[in-house]
Amino acid sequence: MAVSRQWLETLPAPHGVLQKLQQRGRNALTKNELPTNSLEAWRLTDLKRLEKLFSLTVVTKSEIPLKPFSNSWVKSPKNGFRIVMDPQRDPLEGIILPDGIRPLTPLELEQNLGQVLKSCLCSNDWPIAINNASATNLLALKVEGQDLPPLELITEATQGTFVPSRIILILEEKAKLELLQITLGKQDSAHSHLLEVHLGKEAELNHGWVALGSGEGNLLANLTIEQEEKSNYSLTSVQHGWSLGRLEPRVVQVGGEATTTLKGLQISTGSQQLATHSAVRFDGPEGVLDQLHKTAASGHSHCIFNGEIDVPKIAQRTNAAQLSRNLLMSTRARIDTKPELEIVADDVRCTHGATVSQLQEDELFYMRSRGINSKAAATLLLKGYCQEILDNLPVEANRWGILNQLLESVK
Amino acid sequence: MIRTDSELILEITDLHACVENQPILKGVNLTVRAGEIHAVMGRNGSGKSTLSKVIAGHPAYNVTAGKIQFQGQDLLAMEPEERARCGVFLGFQYPVEIPGVSNLEFLRVATNSRREKLGQAELDTFEFEDLVRERLNVVQMDPAFLERSVNEGFSGGEKKRNEILQMALLQPVFSILDETDSGLDIDALRIVAAGVSQLATPTSATLLITHYQRLLNEITPDFVHVMDSGKILRTGGKDLALELERAGYDWINSTNKDQEDN
Amino acid sequence: MESQNSVGEIVSKPYKYGFVTDIETEKISKGINEDVIRLISSKKQEPAFLLDFRLKAYKQWQQMQEPDWAELGYPKIDYQNIIYYAAPKQKDKKSSLDEVDPKLLETFDKLGIPLNEQKRLSNVAVDAVFDSVSIATTYKEKLAEHGVIFCSISEAIIDYPELIEKYLGTVVPINDNFFAALNSAVFSDGSFVFIPKGVDCPMELSSYFRINSGDIGQFERTLIIAEDNSSVSYLEGCTAPMFDTNTLHAAVVELVALDQASIKYSTVQNWYAGNEEGVGGIYNFVTKRGHCRGKQSKISWSQVETGSAITWKYPSCILQGYESIGEFYSVALTNNYQKADTGTKMIHVGPKTRSTIVSKGISAGHSSNSYRGLVQMGPKASGARNYSQCDSMLIGDNAGANTYPYIRSQQPQANIEHEASTCRISEDQLFYLQSRGINFEEAISMMVSGFCRDVFNQLPMEFAAEADKLLALKLEGSVG
Repeated sequence: MAVSRQWLETLPAPHGVLQKLQQRGRNALTKNELPTNSLEAWRLTDLKRLEKLFSLTVVTKSEIPLKPFSNSWVKSPKNGFRIVMDPQRDPLEGIILPDGIRPLTPLELEQNLGQVLKSCLCSNDWPIAINNASATNLLALKVEGQDLPPLELITEATQGTFVPSRIILILEEKAKLELLQITLGKQDSAHSHLLEVHLGKEAELNHGWVALGSGEGNLLANLTIEQEEKSNYSLTSVQHGWSLGRLEPRVVQVGGEATTTLKGLQISTGSQQLATHSAVRFDGPEGVLDQLHKTAASGHSHCIFNGEIDVPKIAQRTNAAQLSRNLLMSTRARIDTKPELEIVADDVRCTHGATVSQLQEDELFYMRSRGINSKAAATLLLKGYCQEILDNLPVEANRWGILNQLLESVK
Repeated sequence: MIRTDSELILEITDLHACVENQPILKGVNLTVRAGEIHAVMGRNGSGKSTLSKVIAGHPAYNVTAGKIQFQGQDLLAMEPEERARCGVFLGFQYPVEIPGVSNLEFLRVATNSRREKLGQAELDTFEFEDLVRERLNVVQMDPAFLERSVNEGFSGGEKKRNEILQMALLQPVFSILDETDSGLDIDALRIVAAGVSQLATPTSATLLITHYQRLLNEITPDFVHVMDSGKILRTGGKDLALELERAGYDWINSTNKDQEDN
Repeated sequence: MESQNSVGEIVSKPYKYGFVTDIETEKISKGINEDVIRLISSKKQEPAFLLDFRLKAYKQWQQMQEPDWAELGYPKIDYQNIIYYAAPKQKDKKSSLDEVDPKLLETFDKLGIPLNEQKRLSNVAVDAVFDSVSIATTYKEKLAEHGVIFCSISEAIIDYPELIEKYLGTVVPINDNFFAALNSAVFSDGSFVFIPKGVDCPMELSSYFRINSGDIGQFERTLIIAEDNSSVSYLEGCTAPMFDTNTLHAAVVELVALDQASIKYSTVQNWYAGNEEGVGGIYNFVTKRGHCRGKQSKISWSQVETGSAITWKYPSCILQGYESIGEFYSVALTNNYQKADTGTKMIHVGPKTRSTIVSKGISAGHSSNSYRGLVQMGPKASGARNYSQCDSMLIGDNAGANTYPYIRSQQPQANIEHEASTCRISEDQLFYLQSRGINFEEAISMMVSGFCRDVFNQLPMEFAAEADKLLALKLEGSVG
């Protein structure tokens, strides 16, 4: 009881540009300490693990420096630029932004902060309250033009810390950007991440989101995206290695005619519980969605996928396809998957599918009949299974050797 | 090429097998020597494909009686991959598509596992690329297929060429080609048949499983076996296939009945 | 598109079973309490174990919450404003049809279910239930020759108490859910079927449920037991008059299949759906569940749901026996302001169990049609397989189609495959048919019928025709 209240007391008094939101988030948490399993969105969540969030120290500006970040990071991208989301510093400190990218002005910030959240109907969600309450720093960028270097954003939580991070990104009309986010976590740490993206008309964002934990940390991440007409948003998410990992991508196509691609990979091992709760709403006609979500659960881990697609009356001629593919690799592991389609428009094409199985026997046999042993064949198949998603990540992701890390952990 | 003194490659004795408790093979006997080309013909459901799957060791097929000796070894005691390493090759009727798995990498891992068994050195990526590009000529295959996922999005003909390419890389002792001719136009059929003929050696043997005569116009078999209801009913030379083409499968059943009646 | 309007008109055929039979009815007073339950039990001269069963269920029910998760949004039901027992006045027990009130026979005649010997269906045995009681069961004697018991559950409670005590409430426990608990406390009548070892039931069995009174709740209870190596096909039909108030129907159906037994349960549900504005109609909150207890047993549900204001129904299978099979084939058609939330649960417990789900939802008007299903592979269900297909068809742009397939697996050697699609009748298809001289209405009807073909093929012959007619009723011919 009252774990969150004690935790709230450890936070510094509301201050800075996020002052109002901090107050709002803390009020919300005072009312709703923790979600319960009777809420559909939290039905399968291990709430004990969620509660653990409150035993960690929130890293804010005012504190003494913590341990330095890991030196395991790969070098900065040659052709791109890197921003580190360190809660103790202004993320733009010492960074020279390339032409076409600039911080939001205070006025722009005031006009835009929280708008995408509202548009995605999730301002009042519990993870948002957590982020509101704790985030003291934010990265707010406006992007114009097309020939921009790829942007790499790193957030790491070191042992015993709770790291809130908040980003707001506005792509102007016809802007084009490649964004790779790397989120890392050490034992007993937690992330609360909130991203708001607005895509102007015909804007394009190729977004890679990779969250690799060491197995004990927690992760709450909300990616909210608002797309104007003819914009193109492509998200490739990779989630692995969190005691409790929860990714909530929410996309709304406000004017229709936009394209959304969601490719997700979720590999759970040990006793991890990983979840993706995606929601896509078409608030205009002729929208396109291509969604493929893959999970693989081994050990006594638990993978959850919940994919909501909302096609109201206005969204005529929507074309949406969702596929949830799940590999259950151990007798103690568990998979829950639930597509959720709500359709009112009648002139639409919506398909969805879900499969849960072991590795395919005929594929294994094909390989074995060529002399490849079962174990090697299984590894090859699993590699192929992951590769199909990883191929969609921005090119710069290759430097991080993600596939090998995933395969290593499943062995 | 029939030489009674050549090495015994495969000997099947009274083989019985079932799928999901359904008996399919009911006493198959077959002897194959080095240098020979055999053809097994029969209508759908006669057990031809089951025979090929059992030889290759598909886990869904249960052998309930009989044995298979391969170069003096008990084939049935071996895992599917061990059979492949020893030189048993099955060209599938319907090769599976494996999304995400690179064809080139798959071919390299398979080739190296066979080479290891043969006591040959493992090939690194560069050496393998050279080898595979050379072997592509056997089936006149576009190198672009190496970059794609295993069989994914391949046409029927491309899948069959990919099978023969694997045969060219693995250099099997005993190859079974299961309905390799099905779904091929005449040009593709010629290319595939030429590939198979080119790969045949005096020390290896081939078993063609087919429905029609047309593959046998391209590759001349030394023996033709006709299967029905899980057994080999008749064995003869290449003329048997021609006779069958002319008179249909019912002819076999009726002549066989005559023999029994007599 | 101009044709949208006509499609709308076509799907709005009037309900033809809306008449009320004028017959003297014995009703107990409104409301529910322990005394009411004792009264129902004593009217039916039940043994003590059953009264205990009812009272236990009532106690549980009092502590339960009415579910709201299906988001059906209906006004709160006042459970004290419902009559829990109503029966047409007639002699206590009818030994032959001659003693049944002719008005009742006439009612069933009008519904297309003639009961008297000359006209009755030649190969279907019928148990006719009017309000709270079973009024007649045909072909009882002929069935008895084969050892098959087919009678009302009230008779079974008196005549076969040992079977009732052994099986009642073992598939749907009294505290399973709010409505099942209520049913267990106050159920009035329903059908009982017992197929002994090794018997293939020689004819189709059928129950026909008719709600006549406006203010009563219908709580029927059906129990079907198929012993080792037996088989049965059972059909259920239902209609109700038009009232502008809502009537509650909360049935419980329990099926038990032992070793190698097979039960096929088909429903054509055509309760009154309310008028075009959504006033009136039946609230259909039903718990149907089959238990494949024996090895290689099989339970197959097929349903055509066209009626009710609100339907809330998930015929389910617990697949416990080795290699047992569960099937669910469903067509749900909603129009006007109807709401249907239906689907199935396939709970795979035993190894090598298999299940198939085929669901077709058609939504027109302002209706909402949801498929909600659960496929669960338990830790011991190795080698189990499920295949599900859920298709929705939308007619007009005010109707909603929702799909919520819950999938859970705890067994790597189990396979689950789910596919779903949403479509509408395309103009190209319509044009193609029309260009071949088929009129618009017929074309629509053909396409809907084609859309549902996979399910209709699963219905028993006698019923397939009725189902086609039922859809045609809503989809064919212009108004008036």
